[in-house]
Amino acid sequence: MRRRGVTIVAGVGIAVALLWTLVPLVWMAISSFKNQTDVTAAAPSLHFGPTLENWTGLFSGGDAIGRNLVNSLVVALGSTVLSVVLGTMAGYGLARSRMRRKKDLAFWVISVRMAPIAAVILPLFLMFRFLGLIDTLPGLIVAYLTFNLPFAIWLMSAFFAQVPVSLEESARVDGAGHWRTFLQISLPLVKSGLVTTAVLCLVFAWNDYAFATVFAGPDAQTLPVAASRLVTSTGIDWGRMTAIGTIVVVPMMVAGLAVRRWLVTGLTLGAVTGE
Amino acid sequence: MTALDVQAQEPDVESREVAKPRRIRFTGRLMAPGVVVLAALSVLPTVVLVAMSFSTVSLVGGFRLHFAGGHNWARIFSDGAFWRSWGTTALYLVLTIGLELVLGTALALALYRFARGRGALLSLLLLPMFVAPVIVGLLGRFLTDSAYGLYAWLLSQIGYHAEILAHGPSAFTAVVAMDVWEWTPLLMLIVLAGLSSMNPAVVEAASLDGASGWRMFRHITLPSISSVLLVGLLIRSMDAIRYFDIITITTNGGPADATKTAPVRLYETAFRFFDIGYAAVTGILMLVVTIVVARGFIRVLGRGADA
Repeated sequence: MRRRGVTIVAGVGIAVALLWTLVPLVWMAISSFKNQTDVTAAAPSLHFGPTLENWTGLFSGGDAIGRNLVNSLVVALGSTVLSVVLGTMAGYGLARSRMRRKKDLAFWVISVRMAPIAAVILPLFLMFRFLGLIDTLPGLIVAYLTFNLPFAIWLMSAFFAQVPVSLEESARVDGAGHWRTFLQISLPLVKSGLVTTAVLCLVFAWNDYAFATVFAGPDAQTLPVAASRLVTSTGIDWGRMTAIGTIVVVPMMVAGLAVRRWLVTGLTLGAVTGE
Repeated sequence: MTALDVQAQEPDVESREVAKPRRIRFTGRLMAPGVVVLAALSVLPTVVLVAMSFSTVSLVGGFRLHFAGGHNWARIFSDGAFWRSWGTTALYLVLTIGLELVLGTALALALYRFARGRGALLSLLLLPMFVAPVIVGLLGRFLTDSAYGLYAWLLSQIGYHAEILAHGPSAFTAVVAMDVWEWTPLLMLIVLAGLSSMNPAVVEAASLDGASGWRMFRHITLPSISSVLLVGLLIRSMDAIRYFDIITITTNGGPADATKTAPVRLYETAFRFFDIGYAAVTGILMLVVTIVVARGFIRVLGRGADA
């Protein structure tokens, strides 16, 4: 009897949590189909004539976001590919290395990953001005490497650490070289780790606002910055904001849920494993 | 074992011994590109940051550093707003992370009761984590706008009519709520992983002994998830001082500094008042906090490996 009571409480709790979680997201998606009058109506309503004007408006006219979308894709994918390639190599090296200062190296890597963005922006701002990287896509890719590269090194090393060394040793005994052992034996065994690392790098870079708003002028503006520029002294175009918001959010949700099984490992940097 | 086997194995042992030094060289070669890039991206900026904190930085016509000794550092001792921003940061950390730990644990325990449908529920509950923080902030502004916000309207139905983001306490509550909305799912996910790795035999034995409800949680569940809770706490502490997008886009530290945490203030000092040397001091202090927490994180990891 008491058990059933607890189950009912748990069920109600989950229902409330679902409402709290989903209402803002659903409301955002719905509002993107409302016209100017409906989106700013005093009493929120679900009865309205749906319109695509916010969506079509995003891709036409002087403030079209096509360019921002391309910028976002280039910097997010660019920093992800670089981080994953360098991070996989270094991660494997770190996992298999027997060097004495290994712990210090690991600590350094995680410190860089967790360094406060505001503290990183300051010196990078001066360095980028010096190097002419302000308002360029390569500049943003480099800025995103500051958190994605250490993340990829650390996480790939955690995934490689789970591959039994004996497998590699027997491959070596069979005459495979170092590179072949790495690429054909170990790498396939961490495929899911590789995908998880890539997805999370993509999400971190795509979602960045702090770096992009400082480093990107009109040329390299990304989608989150474009969304923030809708905030003006005369008010906010909420129809447009909710449409851009939906575009920013949906791809990352799809990508993130695709690696749900390894999400906890990825987001805790390998400290917690498995569902 | 036959003679043939022994013969077949002997060269292996030898080749492995010979291979050892080469193996180290191989891992070193693999690490080199990543480590070099990482060094360029971390050591250099750190040096520049420290140099900036001891300088007056002028940005007009290229940038120039003028050595200013400990001037920037001395300023923090007479700057009340500086310390208030750290107080705000501490309050923000304690409230967001505290709420996320409690709610995340409660939600994980609730979900754990439902074996069927857990996957689908989990997927829905995890969604906020993937939302760009700046969109969380904009969405929060939209929902709390007193003229047409959905949540402001709901609150007005129960008699609360004020503009939420225009008053200190309600604005602070709102930005905390947005952070909690986004990151409670992470704690839930972490605790769920901890619960799944609990030893069923221990739970069984405890319930046969008559333990249930609070006592079961206090003496069986909590000890077995304490290490993952610690991981969650450390990860969130580092992230909470890392991100400041939500506050920047909603209140930008206001009203009257009610939500001005250290990173928000650093940003304002550097890019609105162009007092970059002074901002660098805050940057270094934030870095120190992160490094201390990261030390703790590494230690927890090491303990896990020993067990």
